[in-house]
Parts: sequence; structure tokens; C-alpha cells
Amino acid sequence: MADVTDKTEARTSGPRESGMNSFNLAGAGRLLARQGILVAFAVFMIGFTLANERFLDPDNIMGVIRSSAILGVMALGVTFVVISGNLDLSVGSMMSFATIVVLDLHDKIGPALAIPGMYAMVLCLGAFIGFLVGYLKLNSLIVTLGMLSAIHGLTLTYSGGKNMDIADKEGTWFSVFGQSDVLGIPVPILLFALVASVLGILLAKTPFGRKVYAVGGNGTAATFSGIRRARVVFTCYLLSAFCVATAGLLQASRSLGSQNTVGQGLELEVLAAVILGGASLLGGSGTIFKTVIGVLILGFIQNGLLLVGLQFYAQYVVTWIIIILAVWLDIAAKRGKLWSPIA
Amino acid sequence: MTKSLRALLIASTAATGMAFAGAASAETMKIGITQNNVGVDSYQTTYEKAFIEAADANADVETVVLDAGGDVARQIAQMEDLIQQEVDAIIIWPTNGEAVIPAVRKAHKAGIPVIVTNSNIAEQGFDFVKSFSGPDNITQGKRSAEIMCDKFKEMGIENEAQVVHITGQPGYTTAIERAKGFDDRLPEVCPNVTQIDKQPGDWNREKSQKVMEAFLVKYDDIDGVYSGDDNMGVGALNAAKAAGREGIIFVGATNFAVGYEAMERGEYWGSIYQSPVDDAKAALKTAVDVLNGEEIPFLNYFDTPKITQDNMAEFDKPVF
Repeated sequence: MADVTDKTEARTSGPRESGMNSFNLAGAGRLLARQGILVAFAVFMIGFTLANERFLDPDNIMGVIRSSAILGVMALGVTFVVISGNLDLSVGSMMSFATIVVLDLHDKIGPALAIPGMYAMVLCLGAFIGFLVGYLKLNSLIVTLGMLSAIHGLTLTYSGGKNMDIADKEGTWFSVFGQSDVLGIPVPILLFALVASVLGILLAKTPFGRKVYAVGGNGTAATFSGIRRARVVFTCYLLSAFCVATAGLLQASRSLGSQNTVGQGLELEVLAAVILGGASLLGGSGTIFKTVIGVLILGFIQNGLLLVGLQFYAQYVVTWIIIILAVWLDIAAKRGKLWSPIA
Repeated sequence: MTKSLRALLIASTAATGMAFAGAASAETMKIGITQNNVGVDSYQTTYEKAFIEAADANADVETVVLDAGGDVARQIAQMEDLIQQEVDAIIIWPTNGEAVIPAVRKAHKAGIPVIVTNSNIAEQGFDFVKSFSGPDNITQGKRSAEIMCDKFKEMGIENEAQVVHITGQPGYTTAIERAKGFDDRLPEVCPNVTQIDKQPGDWNREKSQKVMEAFLVKYDDIDGVYSGDDNMGVGALNAAKAAGREGIIFVGATNFAVGYEAMERGEYWGSIYQSPVDDAKAALKTAVDVLNGEEIPFLNYFDTPKITQDNMAEFDKPVF
């Protein structure tokens, strides 16, 4: 009984994986059509491998995923915000803030206290944004665009504009998050995978996750169904802030020092990854898994173009072309045609 | 803190300006400065502090210290304010080398000498500028090439060494000039050293680390890395350390505290010592010299010496 309800819910509001149980050709075709972005991903991977055989070198693959982990963790949180029908443009400067704060506190009160201290401060920022967007119902674009520069100012005030560096770089265990390996896998990848799994389950398998889809899909209907919209939106921003704090931790631990502008511009890359993964800017659709794919596509494009050795002026253009191609392939696969029959 | 200090300075200069209106003393020179974006990085923060200190130390100088916050429109408005206040000279750290030219021209027409500091404005504005005070970035690039070549010779690999190059933000004058100096000078001093790749690190440590990771995958043999500043250089160094690649010679420019520390640890070979304190003092001195009617060159560079593990003891650790 419970099994049946789960399936219907997944069909109507959750991630669309319902093709999984029918292992016939049509089912596989349908699955493929829904995962157009995976096809695009595979195409690019093959293309880059043909251009430079070192692209598939395990060290390179590991390196790309490791450096994508920071962007990736942020994208996970933003996925919740976007599905709930809002935007979060403040994550870039919030990440700079998290990085600077944890590095500063590291030398003042030690890493064991610095980490929870930093999380608390960043969560306060997230709660503030969540309050403005959720409870005061302000437009999330304006609120987070404003917070983008407000938090940047906050960071500069906090640091006095100086670069922040840990004094004793060799003697601190703080570097474990960004620099060490467990069983040959870099810790940032493990943390990214852990956060992605937990948030993936939260979004796809829990009542809260279904509420997020409902609020983003049709807010009014959600309210009439007894869902407390404000609370859901508020929680999404808290989750986003938590993810940003984790990204800041990874960043700080990886370089043990930072500029004030370390996260500058990341908000757009994060949004690109989330949208590339197929989440709708209008809310109501998207999954954690697809966001992860979006993040990896961006990371591998950057790395692949470097390995190909393309002039960097051309790289900006080519990156854009690849993103547009990926989005097109995704849409084309969904509707089964390369272009829309309705002009 | 600097904000309130600045407000205080503006207020006090405005007040004294009013008090002495009409009976303006010929003794004190009133010099206005509009800076690019104080607080955005340690270099600019230290520069402002040093400028105010240097001005305080000189009894003949009165200053109006402004900051454009990286905003071209605000900088143009500040230029107009300074012209209105009839300062004796204006120092400008351009937010944009082209867009500020009309404002510079206006000051020039009002008979106020303009001194450009740190990064020059575009050439079509040179007619309206009295002097440029700042670092010579082409020479810096050349000196970095020499530092690297000398080290290769010392190691005996000057005939086979391979170098990768990480530049600053594309389109940024400092980045272009340093890269040009390095690219031109390296083949002159070490004709058999090859530069195998060049990519931008955007003045960003994390970006530079990513670029270096890709280089390390792509090339089995890298002997030297030149980065447009130490911040990026340390990012590249981190990548090499993480990949376990040893024996690479790292040379940068604008010696940062992190670069200095890496040199102390013996991981980073050399850089160019460019002090924001010298930069600020040079700008003020150029303005004072102009007002005293002294002959000064149009391009009034301050010296930025080579620093390596061998001579680093002669230099104080950078404060930024």
C-alpha cells in the first residue's frame, strides 16, 4: 500500500524515474529521452577524449571532480531554492564570507570552534534571506541580488580588505577537508557525494521534498493543500546557506588562505549548472542528480578546453556554445524532435 | 574605520577650505586623490593607509582622499567635485583607462595638473596628464624572465627547460604588460627554453590552481612556472604539491605575504618586490614635485626590484 502511494507521488510531483521498472526497449528509450542531458554529457566526454587522450586519465578525472566539488555543493542548495520557485544570487559572496570568516577564526579560536562558528554566522545570513523571501514575500531576485553586494561589503568590512591566511599552514589539521584522501578518493569528493546523497533523498523521498516541488509548481494550490509555503521557502534558503558554508569550508581548507573575492561570479556558474541540469527557473522541476550532472559538465568543459589548449579568448565562446548545445539536446530529447513543431 | 577616517578627512579639508577661502595661503598644497577600489584587496588598502600617512608627515600638504569603489561613474563625479573644490593637483587611480579621460580632460582644462597613479590611462588621454607614477610592468615581466633564466642556468637546465605561464585577467593592462615583458625577454636571455603553454588565472588563486592542475596532467615535464602575481603563483604551487611534482621553479610578481612565506619554506623561487607603500609615496611625491615646478619624466616609475630566496633577507615581509 505504502509502496503504491510512493510511486504515484513520484509520478505526479517528484523526480521522474518511473520508467526504471519496465525493462523493455520502449522503456529504455523513454528513459534516454528524459535524460537528454546525460547523452549530452557522454557526447562531450567522448569529444574531449578524442582531442586529448589524457582527458580520461584517472588523476585528471579525480582532479576535475575535486575542484568541481566546491561549486557542486553550492549548486545542491540552490537546486532546492530554484525548485521552490525562487532564485539565490547571493551564494557567491556568501561563500567568500564563509571562507574569510573560517580562516580568520581558525587563528583566533582554533579550528574546532571556528567551523561551527562560521556555520552559525552563514546560517544566520541564510535565515535572514529566507525570512525576507519566505515570510515577507519579497521578490527573491531583488533580495538576493541586494544580498550579493551587501554580503560582499560585510566580508570586506570584516577583513578590512586584507587577504586572510592561516599562519601555521603545516601544523593544522584543518587541511583535511580540502587536501587529504580517504581510500584514494579526495575528501572534497566524498563530502560532495555525502551532501548530494542526503539532499537527494530529502528532495525525492520525504514529505518535505514533495512540499518543495508543490510550492514551486503551484504556490496557491500548495497553500490550499495546507502546505506552509513560507516555512518551506525559509527552509530552502537555510539549506542553501548550509551548502554555501560547506563550500566555504572546502575552499578555505583547500588553499588555507583566501582573497575577499574568492566566490565572486560563482552565483552565475552555480545557476548555470542547476539550469543545465534541467531545473526550471520557474520552479517545480529539477533533481539533485541532474544538478550533479550539470556541475560535472561545467567542470569537464573548463578542464577539457584547457587540455585542448585552445586560446583563452576562444574558450569563453566555446564554453557558451557547449552549454547551449547541452540545453538544446536536453530539450530535444524531451520532446522527441530537434525543433518545436509550433513556431 | 578607514571609511570614517576618510569622511573625517573630507569634512576637515572642506572646513579648512572654507575657513581659508579668500585668504588662501600659498604655502600649503591641496592635493586630491580619487582611488580605484579601496578595501577590495590588501594592496589598495595598504596603499591608502600609506598615502594618508605620507601626507600627514608633510606639513605643506593637505589632502582630499576619495575612493570610487570601482565605479567609473562615481570616479567621474569625484573628479568633478575635486575640480569644484579647486584643489592644486589631482591624483587618479583609474577605474577604467578609457572612460575617465573626459573627466581628466576637464581637470586639465581647469588648469589642475593630473597625476595618474598605479595603472595608466589609455594613450589618447596622455595629453591631459602631467605624469604617470607607478610600477613599470613591462620591466617587471622582463625581470621575472631573468630571474627564471638565471635559476635554470644555475641548475644547468637552460637548454632543455620547459615553462608554463599563468597570466592575470585578460584585458587588464597590468596583465598584458607583464606577460609581454616576460614573453619578450625569456627568449633573449634563455633562447633554448620553451614556453609550452599560457592561460589566464584571472588574479585568482583557486582559478590558477585549476589551470595548473590541467597543465600537470597535460605535460609530464614542467621545469618553470611564471605567474602574473604571487597569489596565482601560490595557487599553482599548491597544485604541484598536491600532485607530488617536485623541482619546479616558481617565479611570480608583486610579492605577496603568501609568496614571501613560500620562499622562506624554499618552495617558491622568486618574485618582484612591489610595495604599495612605495607606490603611494611615489604618487604623492610626483604631485608635490609637479606643484613645485620641478622637471619630472612623463612616465615616472618607482623601482620594483627582484626578490629571490637568495636576497629575500634584504626585504621586509609584505604586509598584504
